[in-house]
Amino acid sequence: MSRTGVIICHCGTNIASMVDVEKVAEEIGKIPGVVYSVTNKYTCSEPGQQMIKDAIEEHSLDRIVIGACTPRMHETTFRKMLKGTKINPYMLEIANLREQCAWVHTDKEKATEKAISLVRMSVAKVGSNKPLFTSFIPIHKKALVIGGGIAGIQAALDIADAGHEVTLVEREPSIGGKMVMLDKTFPTLDCSACISTPKMVDVSAHPNITLKTSCEVEAVTGYVGNFEVTIRQKARYVNHDICTGCGLCETKCPSKISDEFNQGIGERKAIYKLFPQAVPAKPVIDAQNCRKLNGSAKCGVCQIVCPLQCIDFEDKDQLITETYGAIVVATGYELIDWTKLYGEYGSGRYADVISGLQFERLVNASGPTEGHILRPSDQKEPKDVVIVKCVGSRDEKKGKSYCSRACCMYGAKHAHQILEKIPGSNVYIFYMDVRTPGKGYEEFYNRTREDGATYIRGRVAKIYKEGDKLICTGEDTLIGKPVTVKADMVILETAMVPARGVEEIVSKLGISMDGDHWVQEAHPKLRPVETQTAGIFLAGTCQGPKDIPDTVAQASAAAVKVCGVFSKEQMETSPMISRVNEEKCCGCEFCVKCCPYSAIAMKEIDGREGNRKIKRMVATVNSGLCQGCGACTAACRTGAIDLLGYTNDQILKEVDALCL
Amino acid sequence: MNDTLEIKREAQLRETARRLLEDGTVGYIIGWGTTRFEDKTAPLFAAKPEEADRLVWNEYCINSLAKYSLDDKYPEKKIGICVRGCDSRAVNRLVNDKQIERENLFLIGMPCSGKENSVCEGCSHKNPVVYDILIGEPVEENTEEKASAERFREIEEFEKMSPDERYEFWAKQYDKCIRCYACRNICPACSCKECYADQYMVGWQGKQNNRAESQVYGLTRAYHVGDRCIECGECERVCPMGLPIMRQTKKMLKDINDLFGNYECGVESERAPVLGEYDLTDRDEFM
Amino acid sequence: MSVEKNWEPKIIAFTCNWCTYTGADLAGLNRMKYPENVHLVRVPCSSRVNPQFILRAFQKGCDGVMVCGCHPGDCHYATGNYFTRRRFMLMKRLLEYNGIDPQRFQARWISGSEAAKFRDTMTQVTAQIRELGPNSKFQEKWYQEGGPENE
Repeated sequence: MSRTGVIICHCGTNIASMVDVEKVAEEIGKIPGVVYSVTNKYTCSEPGQQMIKDAIEEHSLDRIVIGACTPRMHETTFRKMLKGTKINPYMLEIANLREQCAWVHTDKEKATEKAISLVRMSVAKVGSNKPLFTSFIPIHKKALVIGGGIAGIQAALDIADAGHEVTLVEREPSIGGKMVMLDKTFPTLDCSACISTPKMVDVSAHPNITLKTSCEVEAVTGYVGNFEVTIRQKARYVNHDICTGCGLCETKCPSKISDEFNQGIGERKAIYKLFPQAVPAKPVIDAQNCRKLNGSAKCGVCQIVCPLQCIDFEDKDQLITETYGAIVVATGYELIDWTKLYGEYGSGRYADVISGLQFERLVNASGPTEGHILRPSDQKEPKDVVIVKCVGSRDEKKGKSYCSRACCMYGAKHAHQILEKIPGSNVYIFYMDVRTPGKGYEEFYNRTREDGATYIRGRVAKIYKEGDKLICTGEDTLIGKPVTVKADMVILETAMVPARGVEEIVSKLGISMDGDHWVQEAHPKLRPVETQTAGIFLAGTCQGPKDIPDTVAQASAAAVKVCGVFSKEQMETSPMISRVNEEKCCGCEFCVKCCPYSAIAMKEIDGREGNRKIKRMVATVNSGLCQGCGACTAACRTGAIDLLGYTNDQILKEVDALCL
Repeated sequence: MNDTLEIKREAQLRETARRLLEDGTVGYIIGWGTTRFEDKTAPLFAAKPEEADRLVWNEYCINSLAKYSLDDKYPEKKIGICVRGCDSRAVNRLVNDKQIERENLFLIGMPCSGKENSVCEGCSHKNPVVYDILIGEPVEENTEEKASAERFREIEEFEKMSPDERYEFWAKQYDKCIRCYACRNICPACSCKECYADQYMVGWQGKQNNRAESQVYGLTRAYHVGDRCIECGECERVCPMGLPIMRQTKKMLKDINDLFGNYECGVESERAPVLGEYDLTDRDEFM
Repeated sequence: MSVEKNWEPKIIAFTCNWCTYTGADLAGLNRMKYPENVHLVRVPCSSRVNPQFILRAFQKGCDGVMVCGCHPGDCHYATGNYFTRRRFMLMKRLLEYNGIDPQRFQARWISGSEAAKFRDTMTQVTAQIRELGPNSKFQEKWYQEGGPENE
């Protein structure tokens, strides 16, 4: 028989003025198993707590019910107090007599009756409580950052600076991401490469950072503190241990391929560095386009010219498995493929209708035109340029419903750059709204207008070619009249969409995405850099469109979260988590489907079938991942999975006690 | 029923069964055999080639066979099972619920034009949806109109009654219930190792045989199997007290169809049960 | 069956710790008044509530049962209440199909800040159930006190 002690708190007069606490204590004292039932003026106070401690000794109590304020207030206080006694801290229940009884009722008799019911429910529940113990999981203080754009770079540097080991994984041959493609950054017009390449070099030089380019995450298992990650090192065909990056091979390679770094404007070789300042500054071979590797010719010129014999055509993909304590996802964005969506803009048939990122390369001093703004079709300098904003953004019919956030500003920046570099040029910006929420942003927009950019409120309805001009027709919605602009070049400021392959990485990590495939944060306001999975954090545009300052801020925030995880040797986990009764579990995997944290997995156990030994599958809960929501318990028809602290038995006991 | 065609099908079944047993493809075959009553068959387990001739195929082959595979979850050789449309869906059910492995079964598909069983009237899958070998030619399916008109007809009728009338109806039904759990034992969706109703946990399910406990059992059963019910009607057929049990599970299915779109269980092999997934755009009635 | 003298409806509400239970606490802090008939059972998430609990509550003598949680999209555990929504939309219909009055079982989303909504909901539900009178359906007690002969 259990020996329950009940303390009904007066809470000064808060409870006692509306509830006859003495009567409650007296009535509860009559319940079998309740061996001690008293009232107390201030139970949470030092003397109040001491009284409980004394009563535990004196009356050999093995569980406690306190009728007081909401458990959300003092549950932890009383649990802490019990730590010093012979009773397990989880052998405690609190009946909410203040917020949910005394304060909300007006009839003392009825309130007292309700208080008795509430305490009786808690007494019934505590009767089924079992001692629970916190467990500890080890923390491997090594972080994995997925994606080597500015978000990944910043996160990796911050974590590394804090003294922890970091592995930065990038699928391209160089880190740098999208930022390094940009020419200038708004609103200050810093040279993008000038501010990002030093960070890239810092990454490669940092003693705590292991840089893994041409690598992709293959598989992830485990949980916070203990992620087992398999990384695929794609074949580079160049031995980077020996290569000095002299670049001879690149000059001799006969294959020319459209250059993806320059957004298809210009060409690169089959053995190539992504861009001149690439980190690592060593080439790789693009197997698909290499004549020797794709079998179209014998070639092998690079191998012949390489003074150090770095070229290895036999190179194979390699799988590397390591344990990480935390993961930062920084997979970034790409631009929506407008050519598939906007037939009215020519579906990509007109060479001079380009995307914003293509313009960045055109205007970039290290780009294919060495910074001269020239039309891709005839290399002539355009005089009249149309900029179309919200291509794919804020367009539910054809593109995405969301705002891509950065386009208003880089649209203004593009206008500014054209007006600055091409004297006598005209820039027309078709816009829906101008959104400039940021420091110095509105000022920059105003400056662009003062520079002479013409803002026309409306969408471009059609672009077609007439001679060597691109005719853009649309409506100026402010004056309600159709407008036509004859342009030499059109820049489409296209929507950001999640980087290709985000779906795979998300499913490998067991995190979730929203409807537009942006990675889902744990809470939109309060936990914007965390995911639902403990130990996995978000940085940059993988979570949603944002500009560089926000990206960098979020990356540093993610780094702090990682350092937070790494600040302890081991992590305490809540004991109020789900537990599987393997004997009952029939292995239907229903609970697995309901778990928001992917905390439930299946495992093989030994069983017996007749006189044969067999292996059967049962569910198992990962205590590092389970957050104790209990969604699985209601999915289990057998009741084989139960939530400790809120077991089926405990809740049903409460129900029964109310109905006495 | 085209008699000559079905007699031919029976002969083909026996021949196939003999061959499967002879060449060792299967350890034994679960089918139907005769009983001492002309209008009844019983499940038959044929383990030797010469037993193949004891298999029968006629309008009295009513029993669902798929669930017998649970008695031998780890067979040394494949188990041959004769599957009609409903049995094949039961197999899918058990495979989806991870109770049996598809590789352990050899499914002998039996196109079925309906048995002496009222549930066959609105059958939507007369031909097996999954099989390893098909005996004879497929039969003509019911038109979609017919199957869908029949599917929830009774439920719609019943819903028209007042709450009190409905309660009275069910209360009288559950007064009859003797809690033999035959409905559970036959059901291919009931595959728990230990049914909640058999567990010693006071709050879960009282063991007394009274109306309230039987009601709780009836509703819990309906809720437990409702989103996975393959509509074979076996629960109702085996009930010794004649409770219209299908009307509970079909109610669940009807609501699922209304709320979450067309839904039929055990037809595709991989779809998750409705309660094992969610959709952000689900209707919300709890604002 | 005659209504017991001084009968008071007995209402049980399964409430999620992060939203509705918090909302109820806030109602207390603001000294909002609502009937004494409502008793809260605290659960971590509305998805913890097994529909069998509802059956049990009716069986044991509750006149009204509620399940309350965070608004969809606000779940502390991200997706729990989406399961709650499906489970109880079906369970509610099944109960009504078996003759339970729609008001006797209700589910509501009440956030931690919606103290007024909590008060109003509880006041309204209590009034509705008071109107309906004591529940005899599914109840063990009623059965034990005479059973079908007592009709």
